Amino acid sequence: MTVPVTELESHVTAPPGEEPDDSGVQKVAGRSPTQLALARFRKDKLSMAAFCVVALYVATALVAPILVKTGVLDPLTLHQDLLDVNMGGIPKGSFGGISADHWLGVEPGTGRDVLSRLVYGITWSLFIALSATFVAMGIGTVLGIISGFSGGFTDSVIGRAIDLTLSFPSTMMLLALSGVAVAFMTGTLQVPAGDVANALYVILVLGFFGWPGIARIVRGQVLSIREREFVDAARLLGASRGRLYFKEILPNLWAPLLVYFTLMMPAFISAEAALSYLQVGVKPPTPTLGNILTDSINYSVADFVFFFTPAFLIMIIVVSFNLLGDGLRDALDPKTHR
Amino acid sequence: MAINRKPIVAVAAAAVVSVSLAACGGGSTSGDGGGSSKEASKGGTLYYLTRTSAEHMDPQRMYVGRDLSNMNRLVYRGLTTFPITDDPDAKFSVVPDLATDTGTASDGGKTWEFTIRDDAKWEDGKPVTCEDFKYGISRTFATDVITGGPNYILSYLDVPVAPSGLPEYNGPYKGDHQEDYDKAVTCDGAKLTLHFRNAWPDFNYAAASLRSFDPYREDKDQGEKSNYQIFSNGPYKLEGKWDATQGGTFVRNDQYTESSDESDSRQANPDKIVYTQGLENEVIYDRIIADSGDDAYAITDRRVPPAYYTQVTGEVADRSSLVDSPYVSYLLPNFNQMKNLKVRQALYMATDVVASTTALGGDKAGTPAKSIVAPNIIGYAENPNFTAPPEGDPEAAKALLEDSGEKLPYPIKFTYAGGTPTLDKQAAALAEGWKKAGFKVTLDPLTDTYYTIIQKPSNDADVVWGGWGADWPSIATVIPPLFDSRINLTENSNGQDYGNYKSDTVNKMIDEAAQIADVDEQAAKYTEIDDQLGKDVAYIPLELTKFYFVRGSKVTNYINNPMTSGFPDLGAIGVEN
Amino acid sequence: MTAYIIRRMFTGIIMLIVMSMVTFLLFFSSPVNPEDFACGKNCSPALKAQTKKALGYDEPVTTQWVKFAKGVFVGRDFPDDPALKESAPETIAECPAPCLGYSRTTNSTVTEQIKEAWPISLSLAITAFFMWMIGGIVFGVIAALRRGSIIDRGIVGASLVFYAFPTFFIGLFLYKFLAIKWEIVKIPEYVPISEGGVSVWFQGLLLPAFTLSLVYMAGYVRMTRAFVLESMGEDYLRTAKSKGLAPRKVLYKHSMRAALTPLVTMAGLDLAGLMGGAIITEQVFNYPGLGKLAVTATRNFDLPLVVGIVLVLAAVVIVANLVVDLLYAVIDPRVRVG
Repeated sequence: MTVPVTELESHVTAPPGEEPDDSGVQKVAGRSPTQLALARFRKDKLSMAAFCVVALYVATALVAPILVKTGVLDPLTLHQDLLDVNMGGIPKGSFGGISADHWLGVEPGTGRDVLSRLVYGITWSLFIALSATFVAMGIGTVLGIISGFSGGFTDSVIGRAIDLTLSFPSTMMLLALSGVAVAFMTGTLQVPAGDVANALYVILVLGFFGWPGIARIVRGQVLSIREREFVDAARLLGASRGRLYFKEILPNLWAPLLVYFTLMMPAFISAEAALSYLQVGVKPPTPTLGNILTDSINYSVADFVFFFTPAFLIMIIVVSFNLLGDGLRDALDPKTHR
Repeated sequence: MAINRKPIVAVAAAAVVSVSLAACGGGSTSGDGGGSSKEASKGGTLYYLTRTSAEHMDPQRMYVGRDLSNMNRLVYRGLTTFPITDDPDAKFSVVPDLATDTGTASDGGKTWEFTIRDDAKWEDGKPVTCEDFKYGISRTFATDVITGGPNYILSYLDVPVAPSGLPEYNGPYKGDHQEDYDKAVTCDGAKLTLHFRNAWPDFNYAAASLRSFDPYREDKDQGEKSNYQIFSNGPYKLEGKWDATQGGTFVRNDQYTESSDESDSRQANPDKIVYTQGLENEVIYDRIIADSGDDAYAITDRRVPPAYYTQVTGEVADRSSLVDSPYVSYLLPNFNQMKNLKVRQALYMATDVVASTTALGGDKAGTPAKSIVAPNIIGYAENPNFTAPPEGDPEAAKALLEDSGEKLPYPIKFTYAGGTPTLDKQAAALAEGWKKAGFKVTLDPLTDTYYTIIQKPSNDADVVWGGWGADWPSIATVIPPLFDSRINLTENSNGQDYGNYKSDTVNKMIDEAAQIADVDEQAAKYTEIDDQLGKDVAYIPLELTKFYFVRGSKVTNYINNPMTSGFPDLGAIGVEN
Repeated sequence: MTAYIIRRMFTGIIMLIVMSMVTFLLFFSSPVNPEDFACGKNCSPALKAQTKKALGYDEPVTTQWVKFAKGVFVGRDFPDDPALKESAPETIAECPAPCLGYSRTTNSTVTEQIKEAWPISLSLAITAFFMWMIGGIVFGVIAALRRGSIIDRGIVGASLVFYAFPTFFIGLFLYKFLAIKWEIVKIPEYVPISEGGVSVWFQGLLLPAFTLSLVYMAGYVRMTRAFVLESMGEDYLRTAKSKGLAPRKVLYKHSMRAALTPLVTMAGLDLAGLMGGAIITEQVFNYPGLGKLAVTATRNFDLPLVVGIVLVLAAVVIVANLVVDLLYAVIDPRVRVG
């Protein structure tokens, strides 16, 4: 299933109550041998295609900073001579000013190279989504393991914390706190102003509102794992709590976590875009897919190429990640049907 | 007053005379400057589409140019008002409104007398009296209730001042020291007299521009709660309630008689005016350009977004207008950071106003400004210190910078009010120019927190963005509010002096100017001050904003009045039936 | 059961209290001064101090919170100024219990504002809810029945693509073309049923509700499809089939019921989240519900309104959680409350 946790329209999606959720992701059993799963995954053409697209995006994201450093891509230099000053600064020539130098044309108003901005924007968007996912998974996994393993009072405190976090209207908090929190980070905490502070804010807040779903799933898994023999054995042998949590339990969680990861990434990529529309997050001239789209959305008539490409790129990566997530889940748990 | 980029900023009325009025529209058809050829016609419904909601509808609290002039035409009559004109070169003039003449000044501009008409009525049929004026003006003194509005009267009216700097009189609600106020503002039958501490030679212009001196009915006053309660004495009244975010509907006020209004500024053509607030600019223009249904009867105060310029051709161009606005945007070097005059001069020389304007949309978005004052303001002169070509002179700038003794590249941080793609593009364009001259630029866009941060004296930005338009057509409402360090700089805030500019010379000249009773002489003094500001590079002018509007095809007698900030003049506009 | 409900309500109340404290602390100790926004320009320090006092922000956060909490139960006066109440009682705004504060930008009590915006968000949420539930279940079942066919792929693919485009992009796109260019639907506008009747009310919210339903539909299509397929593979259904029951009957009598349970959970929580207003959709369509109100409030630094909305939204989610848990118990007797 898609993970609308941060779809920014729905604030709550994880099922309620103390009972672990029994849908989708949950079904993955750590037992199934990796080899088998891999083989199943490879046979699934759609998932393989999705995997390739995701890999391509990731490669782009990794290479882009180098290309920018070496000057192959130039997302910042203005080329206003390529613009029609009498027409609101839209590019001269057809298809958004596509030329040998600018394969996807130039940006209206500034003449910056659209291809460079999009490619570099992928780096920023993926970086933000990835970091936020790690924050959410980090908090969620640790608290989930602790909750599931210790039970009792700790468990119910964490359970309440989950409910509390889920009850906050996250989009509104994100919006309302942005100015305040960024001012606090740059002022009191001495975080460098600008991109760093803005990106950090989005990462932390998305991460913070994303962890409860993971914590619930992990807790559910832990509840079933902790009764198993190998855990008992480790406990009898006098393993410490920390060792039990992270050496014995964690390795058994990778399958559901991996699936959740691939579903959370696209949700956060969309979230970054939506937040840009609400003026939260990394601001131009530093490009992100979200802040490019926020500008390009107005050019549906004046400059269709510029209008369409950012939205298309976001759509493709979100679809691919979702398909990849589905594929992985199927491969890891052959019982589900697609 | 500042340009309305963020909620904190208010924009008050001022007027504009464009230097050169370009015919607008992109197509072969000639559009028009400020007026439409279609004859006025009575009746029908006019739709007013806009984005920013009116913050206040209380006359004493309103401070946004658009609202001040619109409500003056519809519901709030004042002592004086501006006539209807679409002549971009018209000199400012005021006409009597609820007063029988434009007022008589005596005692070197310190005493003003008006006689209130006896035939004007409120919407409940009661006459508008001198006492209503006296009560209205007193409301601004209740600084704990009536917040956010223009407060000039606090420093002008001849009442004792407490050590805090505020007058001892604290408004009609608590009424402490009411006797002070009763002495300063008197009613003798229909004769209203105001006593000021300092000369206010153009008070009748202020009264036409702002609504702070408008009458208010004491029995209708509920303080803070009255913010959106409109009690009219004009040709329209509110139907139902005003919704703070969505707007409201105005219908004819049957107590208003044309014979009671000799200002000729309220043709009151439509039977009904429907306000819709909160629409995105793009949506407004999608609708107005499509021109279907009710949208054919629509006008807006939002400018055409650059992305839509290509659609303003042919028939749409006939419905467009392009005029100068009274708003100048500019940069302020931070004097706590950029102390070296040569560096500031280099920054000015390197500033590429053409690129910056192109990023905003090109020649329909703005024209390079030559002073912080708009050209139609009395006392305007091209500042002789700003001689660089509009696209800047990076070579000269580089030379200056190398000459300054500072290490190159010189790092600067540019903090600006960002948040919209266009403003971010403008900043990038400016940075590009500065880089060519040897500056190393860090861009720092802020949204909600912009003014909070740049108002901190410790703020480490080297350059900040600012925008301002005169509160009434006087240079005295531009220079002292922005550059008098005594009223601006305090321990925790730099007020409106975002660049922390502090010059004893300028302060002294401002004091001298305040003593001059003659409008023109006073203006000449301010021009001198502007020259001094230019020498210090206290500011760097960017562009004079252009107003580029499109209206629906069924709108008649369309006028962008330079005296009411260049916005569509609701006193003239009508719709086809 | 009663004991369970009481316990859950009790924790809910505790959570609301904690939440109000957290929200207060976050917003009222922020480095941004609301008095700057209220004071206007040309504001001398003395005037600013005066404004701050008038807004009630000169007191410590704790005092402000206590006053707020008290106001919820017994109501408050704004401004809380005995001298002013004495001399000019007509200027005092009364805020009867349950008072959530007084919003200075809209000049009415927060309770009043929320009361006004609520039906608007509710109309939108419920209409969208029906659209996506019907669409999601119908398309999901069709896709499951035609598993592997072009129709199946088409449905699943299309729903995923709609999900993957950011909401504001889809919303603006539909607004621009469906409403303005082609005039297929009315320009969105809220007209209460009491004023224009059901038909006008519905036409006015058709587009925003449709946009919103597209966002959610993807999840429901895929979920319905997966559950139908899954339950069709379960033993009791195989039994039913082997007993000779018609496939259609199997579907309706058995599969649907099994699939319903998790759908109800998800739907309930999504609906609850939406009742708090769809921030992006309302923003795009200028639809004056709670979401739009929230955006306006945060942009104007209208703290009482922000805090009020956050708390009300949280309360809705907490109640919805409870309701869903109970419903869950009703639909699926295997789940025992406790």
